[in-house]
Amino acid sequence: MRTRLAIPVLVALLVLAFLASLAFGELRLSYAQVLSALMGGGDDIARTVVRDFRLPRALVGMAAGAALGASGVVMQAFFRNPLASPGLLGVSSGGALGAVAVLALAPATGFAAATLWALPVASVLGAFGATGAVLMLAQRGAGTERLLLSGVALNALLGAGTSFLLTTTAGHFEVNAQILFWLMGGLESRSWEHVWMGVPAILAGCLLLLPLGRAMDLLSLGEQSAQSLGVDVRRLRRQLIVLSTVLTALATAVGGIIGFVGLVVPHMLRIAFGPDHRRLLPYSMLGGAAFLLACDLVTRTFPLGLRLGVVTSLIGGPFFLWLLRRPR
Amino acid sequence: MSAALHAADLSVPGRLEAVSLDLGPGELVAMVGPNGAGKSTLIQALAGLLPAHGTVQWNGQSLSHIPAAERARKLAWVGQEAHFEFAFPVREVVAQGRFAWGDDLTGVAEALAELDLTFLADRPATRLSGGERHRVGLARALATQAPIQLWDEPVAQLDVRHALEVMRLARRLVDGGATVVVSLHDLRAAYRFDRVLVLDQGHLVGNGRPHEVLTAALIRQVFRVEATFVESLVPELPEM
Repeated sequence: MRTRLAIPVLVALLVLAFLASLAFGELRLSYAQVLSALMGGGDDIARTVVRDFRLPRALVGMAAGAALGASGVVMQAFFRNPLASPGLLGVSSGGALGAVAVLALAPATGFAAATLWALPVASVLGAFGATGAVLMLAQRGAGTERLLLSGVALNALLGAGTSFLLTTTAGHFEVNAQILFWLMGGLESRSWEHVWMGVPAILAGCLLLLPLGRAMDLLSLGEQSAQSLGVDVRRLRRQLIVLSTVLTALATAVGGIIGFVGLVVPHMLRIAFGPDHRRLLPYSMLGGAAFLLACDLVTRTFPLGLRLGVVTSLIGGPFFLWLLRRPR
Repeated sequence: MSAALHAADLSVPGRLEAVSLDLGPGELVAMVGPNGAGKSTLIQALAGLLPAHGTVQWNGQSLSHIPAAERARKLAWVGQEAHFEFAFPVREVVAQGRFAWGDDLTGVAEALAELDLTFLADRPATRLSGGERHRVGLARALATQAPIQLWDEPVAQLDVRHALEVMRLARRLVDGGATVVVSLHDLRAAYRFDRVLVLDQGHLVGNGRPHEVLTAALIRQVFRVEATFVESLVPELPEM
């Protein structure tokens, strides 16, 4: 069976991307050097590069990718719409606006020292605001048009807020650069602090989602039928919206706006392995992690200064257009 | 006769007005009424799927106090809409009827066979015709093996052979002790049920044996058409 291959293949891809993330960069290391550095051996430079710079970056990337992949699966089941995703619906933009607000206020409030932990909190708040707005604008089961148009409106609104903050901080070059970082997504100079900030919570969120897969199957085919078949729909919906929003917000907090992962990854895996959420959830977590690491590798290998969010969008944009054209 | 389902003063603002009724075991019940009379609303309220004033009791126990999974084992509902956004194979959709039973697959193959879906079992539910999708919904409800089956216009989109088969299936379930409520528009078919409920503008205006309820006067009042009942024109369900 095809599905039996899924986990080994996805894990192999993830391990490959992970090792490559540790080996590639300005200082090209061999895989032997990477492994010995991980074990605490090798020369000092290699050890520092691997353990202090590339390892946290790779861990943050994996976690963000897994969070966005899982979050996409959840939103698609929740809205019963295969085109729903955190980026298109504006949840990512909400998270980014929250983060950007903290950054923009930092110079005025002398808040800078606290920003590292204020960021994820503000990001979660911003994302919840956006989720609330989407829930009001597009009721569940809303058609694709209404859902996507709500997302367009919300993205524009939140983008305007972010642009406003960007212009008000034009005098502060560093703040401005930091804000641009959020807007285009990226994993540069991620430290162990970012790992602690994002990875455990993302892992916990993913683990909490896994047992909900079967009920999500039923929900994805209709709220009332799910209720009549024994799903506690109100409770499930609450769990799903909270978990997916928190996961998106955390991914945004540690990596900025990274679009299309939540759309592309679940879709490709659904086409390959079917819509069963008990499988699709773990597959999308693994696939999202591998996909994001691969995209991050692209940003590092190309000398153009490509940003991570730019790369995922360069892949995701055409994919989305293909999806829209594809006969269902 | 002990009531399997007892509804008292069910109201949904603007859609349903203080409907009370008892449904006994082994009863095949037709629900008729013009568009917008409240048939779907009443069926959903009986299934506990929408907030309604009043109470629904299952053998003396309030439905709203029964946990979702336990309720699903007693009561199955088939909606008028049958849309599947995700490409689950037909077999998987029908197997969802076993969710409340810990996903043991008892009766899934039989349910597929009953609704003539065995040959479609591996097809994605997104690639079915409207009538086929309705049969999938019915098979899923059947797989629950719930003793109370509430079907909202199950045959409206079915071809004549499958429509007859669904009616026969309903009769077989009732003969086995189940309660089956079917909303429909075909008044002639309603004559063959054990009981007919007539809804008009949210009110239950008829509740009894078909010949007593579906009188020319009531049909004129509710549907605003002249009708006479001619025994020879009422279709029998042919034996298989």
